[in-house]
Amino acid sequence: MSEPRPRWKQDFPIKWENDHYVTRRELAKFLTLGSALLVGASALIALVGRLRRKPATPRIRLPGASQLAPGESLLFRYPTDEDPCLLVRGRDGRWLAFSQVCTHLSCAIVYRPQRDALFCPCHHGVFSVAEGVPTAGPPTRRLPRIRLEEWGGELWAVGVEV
Amino acid sequence: METRRQGISLITAICLFIGTLVVIQLWLVAAALDAWLAGESGVLVPAALASVGLFGLNVGLLAYVRAFDARLKQTQDHG
Repeated sequence: MSEPRPRWKQDFPIKWENDHYVTRRELAKFLTLGSALLVGASALIALVGRLRRKPATPRIRLPGASQLAPGESLLFRYPTDEDPCLLVRGRDGRWLAFSQVCTHLSCAIVYRPQRDALFCPCHHGVFSVAEGVPTAGPPTRRLPRIRLEEWGGELWAVGVEV
Repeated sequence: METRRQGISLITAICLFIGTLVVIQLWLVAAALDAWLAGESGVLVPAALASVGLFGLNVGLLAYVRAFDARLKQTQDHG
C-alpha cells in the first residue's frame, strides 16, 4: 500500500523532471540567441575593418639626418606629434627608423651603438637594428618600422610598417 | 517513444555542446577585435565566416531540440 501524498506535494504539484526539462530547453534557446549576437559582433568587426581606410601617411622631412655619423641616432616624431620614433644610422652607414615605443610595455627604447642594438631600459628588452625584431628580454613583437626615402639630398619619413 | 527523462539527458548534452561553441565564438570575437585594433584586417572576414558556421551548427542543434520537444508533446497527447 502506497503512502498518502504529503501536503506540500499537493500544494506544489510541479515535478522536478518537468522543471529541469523546460529550463534546459530554454537555456539551449538563450545560448543560441547569444551565438547569434556573437555572429553580429563578428560581422560588425569585419565590416568596419573592411570599410575603414588606412589614414594617409604624411611625408615628413628629417632635418639633421645627413649630419648623423654611423653609430649615432636621432629622435623625431612620426606620423603625428604623439608618436616618438628613433632614426639610427647603423655601422654600415644605412639609415633605419623605428617607433621608439617598446612593444612590451611602451617604454622608450634607446640605441646602443656598442651592441648595434635597440635597447629598452625598463625590462632589458633588446631589438635588432636591422629588422627591429626582438632578440632578448620580454618583448615578443617587432617594432613598427618607419619607411624612409632619400629625395633631394634629404631624408624623408614616408610610412609605417606595423 | 521519447520520454522527458531522455529529453533531460539529451538537452543537457546539447546545452553543453552549444555552450562550448559559444565560447569558441567569443574567442573568435576577441581575436578579431585584437587583430582589428592591431591594424590587421586579413583575419576579420574568416573569423566572421567561422562564427557564422558555428551559429549554423547551434541553430541545427536547437532545431533538433525543438523537433524532439514536438515529438514528446505528440507522445504525451496520444498517451
